[in-house]
Amino acid sequence: MFRLILARLGQHLFVLWAAVTLNFALPRLMPGNPLALLAGEDVASLTTIQREALMATVGLDRPWPEQYGRYLERLLVGDFGYSYQRNKPVIEILLSRLPWTLLLAGTGQILATLVGLGLGALAAQQAGRAGDMTLLGLAVFFESLPAFWVGMLLIAVLAVQVPLFPTFGAVSPWEREVGLALALDVAHHLALPLLTLVMVSFSGTFLVARSALLTVLGEPFVVAAHAKGLSKRQVLFRHVFRNALLPVVTVFALNLAHAFGGATVIETVFSYPGIGRLIYEAVLNRDYPVLQGAFFMITVIIIVANIAVDALYPWLDPRVRQAAMQAEGAA
Amino acid sequence: MRPGRLTTPNVAGLVLLAALALLALAAEWVAPYDPAERTGAPFEKPGPAHWLGTNDIGQDILSEVIFGARISLQIGVLAAALSVALGTTVGLLAGFFRGALGVVLMRLVDMVLVIPFAPLMILLAAYLGQSVWNLIVVIGLVTWARPARVIRAQVLTLTGQEFVLAARALGAGPLRIIATHIFPGIASLAMAQFVLAASSAILVEAGLSFLGLGDPTQKSWGTILFYAQARNAFLSGAWVWWVLPPGLMITASVLAFALVGHSPHPSAART
Repeated sequence: MFRLILARLGQHLFVLWAAVTLNFALPRLMPGNPLALLAGEDVASLTTIQREALMATVGLDRPWPEQYGRYLERLLVGDFGYSYQRNKPVIEILLSRLPWTLLLAGTGQILATLVGLGLGALAAQQAGRAGDMTLLGLAVFFESLPAFWVGMLLIAVLAVQVPLFPTFGAVSPWEREVGLALALDVAHHLALPLLTLVMVSFSGTFLVARSALLTVLGEPFVVAAHAKGLSKRQVLFRHVFRNALLPVVTVFALNLAHAFGGATVIETVFSYPGIGRLIYEAVLNRDYPVLQGAFFMITVIIIVANIAVDALYPWLDPRVRQAAMQAEGAA
Repeated sequence: MRPGRLTTPNVAGLVLLAALALLALAAEWVAPYDPAERTGAPFEKPGPAHWLGTNDIGQDILSEVIFGARISLQIGVLAAALSVALGTTVGLLAGFFRGALGVVLMRLVDMVLVIPFAPLMILLAAYLGQSVWNLIVVIGLVTWARPARVIRAQVLTLTGQEFVLAARALGAGPLRIIATHIFPGIASLAMAQFVLAASSAILVEAGLSFLGLGDPTQKSWGTILFYAQARNAFLSGAWVWWVLPPGLMITASVLAFALVGHSPHPSAART
């Protein structure tokens, strides 16, 4: 099992290396002034000293392998580059925004999974009948909605026409709340962005959960569980859900990338101070170091989530555990 | 997606798609104005001269939405074509040559599937600059891995079949086998993948354009919404005529392609 985890870890590190190398190569391969592509469009307004310092750290006049070596060295000590527009190291900017995105994308992803699982169970119970068809149709419809548009409509209706929710931000400005009041304020600001994210991202889990449940419901052990007199609830939670969980966990990791993509446009609409809004601002200002840093950081988060899911598999499914043991024995 | 076995959702999708395609093709005749020209005062409300009002610089929003069909559908369809062409090529090669080449290609596919596509596309589009063709290339280059995986699975099944073994025994070369025996077996699957890819490419294009990566001289629906957002249209009554229509068009297009590609076994089409 240890060997299996190591092999998967190797794959993940490979992805990380690819992302890093892409970040290194892109500004150097693209047409245009490489210094501008490395430092952002503001490069013209840099002082001579800043420009020389930049040239020295990036080493644009040195051969490629040496530049690459320096690039990796700087990454290893947490140097993601410098945003001249914000006058701050990129890592500092990213870390200050990260908690908000983790809050939005994380809770959004968990809620979307729960909603998808619940609706999937509802649909699977009445497979082929009107309720199931309606849910399937709704899932296709919600999957077709542009996330940012849903957000704009929710603001127009639930924050402007009927002012139930704030129109922007993550906390109320000018008020310094603490404790419970702060938590309530954060939740109040989170509600609409979260609703948007759940609306546009539950259908993936729904479809997978529905078909997984349908497969499991037809298995002989479910019939046996019913036959030995277990209640419907017991069969559902002890026998059916547990077996249908594996594909749902798999899409959880896959959908996380979608959640970050969705969060980017949703944060933009709601002026939510996370990495997504930062990406939007960086696009408008052509602040390339920030865009590169955001890409790298989200890749790292996705990979960590994948590793966590990998570690969860054997615990969730004894079959995976056994297969891994056997592979170990054979090797 | 076998012809002659169209389901009700398939037909509904085809009708919707035909209507949208017609609108895009006939934009010159249907639209009341040239969307690039300033034909009214800024921020006009809907009236007889401008049914959907005007935007912040006095361009007719209805004309923008009609011409937007052309840009949005064009990017969606061409990006999907690029994505599926790349995916089919990789899938064919990886499925047919199962040696080192196949292993390397599948590693690549797995890698591309894990890399978060949204920030990567944003980064690429920002570097390449705002143009319709750049968006097509960026979306196509980042989304080919899923079709590649599906096509490869089908190629693996096909290469194990007797008629392929027979062709091999008769001395047919790999190119001939791929062209005459394998390709016909994956064509309809590739077509289904194309329809699904077009559906998601339109959505992805809308998102990228909404973030300001669209071509400001050739506005797609996403670009219209970028300007609506930048001018806070959703904070005033303007959302009804400036935000609602382009979003409805995006939803209708994405839905139309999704319905055309809809198979009675939803899980089979997705993996």
